[in-house]
Amino acid sequence: MANPVDPALTSSVSASQPPAPEMQPSVQQPPQGASPSKPAKQQTPKQPAKGKDGAAAAPAPSGDGAALTPAELKKKAKADKAARRARERAERETTGGAPGGPGGQHAASAKKGASGPGGAGGKDSAAAAQQKGQKQLPRRGSAQATAQVGAAELKKKQEEKNVSVFGHLYGQQRRTTIAGAGKEVHPAVLALGLQMRDYVVCGSSARCVATLLAFKRVIEAYTTPLGTSLARHLTTHLSHQITYLSTCRPLSISQGNAIRALKLAISSIDPSVPEATAKSSLCDFIDSFIREKITVADQVIAGSAAQKIQDGDVIVTFAGSSIVKQTLLTAHKQGKQFRVSIIDSRPLFEGKNLARTLANAGLDVQYSLVNGISHAIKDATKVFLGAHAMTSNGRLYSRVGTALVAMSAKERAGGVEVPVIVCCETVKFTDRVALDSIVVNEIADADELVTIEPVQQLTGLPDPTAPAPAETKKGSKAAASAPVESSTASQSTGSPLEEWKESANLQLLNIMYDVTPAEYVDMVVTEMGSLPPSAVPIVHRMSTNL
Amino acid sequence: MAAPTSGSSNAKPFDIVATYNDLLRSDPDLTMPIAAIEALVLLLTHSPSSTISETLDLLEKSTAHLKQSIPNPIGLSAGTDLFQRYLITTLQRPGQLGPAGDFNAIRAHLLSNGRLFIRRAKESRDKIAAFGRGFVRDGSTVLTNGGSRVVASLLQKAADEKGGPSAVRFKVIYVLSSAKRNSDEPEGMETVRALRAKGVPVSTIPESAVAYAMGKADIVIVGAEGVVENGGIVSRMGTYQIGLLAKAMGKPFYVVAESHKFVRIYPLGQYDLPIEQRVIDFKTEEDVADEAKQQKAVSTETSDAKAVNTADSADVVDFTPPHLISALITDSGVLTPSAVSEELIKIWF
Repeated sequence: MANPVDPALTSSVSASQPPAPEMQPSVQQPPQGASPSKPAKQQTPKQPAKGKDGAAAAPAPSGDGAALTPAELKKKAKADKAARRARERAERETTGGAPGGPGGQHAASAKKGASGPGGAGGKDSAAAAQQKGQKQLPRRGSAQATAQVGAAELKKKQEEKNVSVFGHLYGQQRRTTIAGAGKEVHPAVLALGLQMRDYVVCGSSARCVATLLAFKRVIEAYTTPLGTSLARHLTTHLSHQITYLSTCRPLSISQGNAIRALKLAISSIDPSVPEATAKSSLCDFIDSFIREKITVADQVIAGSAAQKIQDGDVIVTFAGSSIVKQTLLTAHKQGKQFRVSIIDSRPLFEGKNLARTLANAGLDVQYSLVNGISHAIKDATKVFLGAHAMTSNGRLYSRVGTALVAMSAKERAGGVEVPVIVCCETVKFTDRVALDSIVVNEIADADELVTIEPVQQLTGLPDPTAPAPAETKKGSKAAASAPVESSTASQSTGSPLEEWKESANLQLLNIMYDVTPAEYVDMVVTEMGSLPPSAVPIVHRMSTNL
Repeated sequence: MAAPTSGSSNAKPFDIVATYNDLLRSDPDLTMPIAAIEALVLLLTHSPSSTISETLDLLEKSTAHLKQSIPNPIGLSAGTDLFQRYLITTLQRPGQLGPAGDFNAIRAHLLSNGRLFIRRAKESRDKIAAFGRGFVRDGSTVLTNGGSRVVASLLQKAADEKGGPSAVRFKVIYVLSSAKRNSDEPEGMETVRALRAKGVPVSTIPESAVAYAMGKADIVIVGAEGVVENGGIVSRMGTYQIGLLAKAMGKPFYVVAESHKFVRIYPLGQYDLPIEQRVIDFKTEEDVADEAKQQKAVSTETSDAKAVNTADSADVVDFTPPHLISALITDSGVLTPSAVSEELIKIWF
């Protein structure tokens, strides 16, 4: 469900026709398997070749499939499906909680939300608002529905789809709706939670700032209940907000650090201080925290990192880090002549906005996807990376793919080393230690990988038509072809992976972060100066003890 | 340092560059950062500043001036930065000597402490020798280069300890650079003589024989002009290749440096140093002819030409990255390269 992000902007055009009817059957019939096979069937006539693939991949077993015509195949698949559905319905009825009436509808759509990959297609079709409604029920409902309807079975099914090495990371699925959020949760926080889930607010610093600003509004709207003090009660009040936010998307390290600082500030408020004063002092604290730890820190970092850029450099960067963007723009303003090569990756395509901003600013930009890394790194002279966090053993925890870029730079054939520079505010430092990217990580919805239309990054300039024109020169060749191809494809046929949840031995993994070993990082530029990665714990200790 | 003090005080406007150069010339044991600090202390004694900001301003200006007029200010800037930092922290400290206190008292305190600092810095060499002695083992062969005074004192101390000529049990391979300094003999010859006098067998080899000789060496000990933030060192040209060879052959590579040589710069590679060096200079026959003509024309202004020449040949430095260094032997202990940044951060925050 994947594309929660783009809903309104992109998808409605491409997939308006077929899914609408599809909704009906899936609602009426018991859920499992129902929705997925349908789209496949609908597609078959349009594109036989694809359809066959789909059929072969999906339930239809059979070696005789080759001899059958598409039409026969279709019939066979339909029969299979019907039989299975009947079986399932019978099973369900025996277990008890038969889905019926409006409740049943909910349950059905709940299933769709939880397990139906076909749901992706269906969702696309629905208008954005309606779609939200659709999805809201399911996730919320699923708690109740699963209780009635073969909860264990469903769970097992879901677990089968989890990549076992990362099994511990699947814990809780991202919230899809604000329904069911506690009444204590402030509307600003409610909105922010959904924005973060949809990557509208994306990036460690941006999330941190947005959270703090939302909390500022929470504090402004807060009144201490009778019989308790602000210092005691506000912390618990905030923790409701925090819990809600973390169900939308796991909190980033920077958010955690900021929250910790805020809680410390709250608890150190003298209970005798009048509430209004306390609140305004907290708001001041938040403002100054944002200013010191992020706004000004970014300026300092951009300034000192820009010093490392020299005329004639070719700077490689990965995805879209705001601080790297600021650095490059600063260097450009200083009149330095250099080229930028942006490496991007699916499914977030964060580099596109970066490419556009830099190109608009007049920089020489080359855009390519991570598949082209070995080519892009060939003429690189420096690598600039943003960070999600820096761990205490000096490792860089950042968007998945970063480690690959850093490694390519360090191990480049020819042996000429390309320095890898990480720009990172100290608020992103953590005392945790990461040895690999398995123990601590975040798993996003695997359906993001399935969607054909690239998920649009809405941060910055939300203009879905822009990516192609924005890229310049060489970059556009590689990148422009991709979106074009995919958009044409989406009109004609679904993704071959669309039914991945139904095929037995297929698992998708959409991991968000990876860990770059300290050896691949030459320098960490922070607002407190440039450090080797080994100095991260020292600086972290200092900046938290102050 | 009585002589240069009186000498320069006569000149009405205090010339920090001349003082610095005088100090370096007058005392062969003086390192660049210490000379810089001493020059700054002298500057403060001579200038009648009466407020804190005036003092800091004066300090900043003369530091910048000094850095500009010296071809390679890396070592020097370690000293000036340290002194400035020290001043600021002293001035910020609450109490009698803080901003509220009497400025004259502050000044007197600063100056006396500055001198104390210089004395301590000179003592640090002995401290380092004490720390480093253990690294020169019985029967080992030490490969070293350059004219580092700390390395010399370390090796001499090691020789002394073994109790005279009869008990000497280590050998030294001394890499002598082909570039000649002011005198005719290469840098380090003095140390070679001193060691030989103590009965230490010393072999001198040219830089081109380092790879050949490395197999016979057990450890490598070098000095440094500056220790940078990532734990690498800026040092006499040729150190980097020794480091690379030592790494390739698996020999431990130790750097001996006083902790006041820690500089707050972060070079990413050889060509990222904040100084300009014309080591690699592409020329065609035409350029060479042009230059010869120019040299003839300029030869009247001998001082200029000379300065350029020395900067070209003897004063050039290279950067040895931290991953080639096994440990740094400093007066605050034996550090791994990664601990340097910790030390620096301690000084700066």
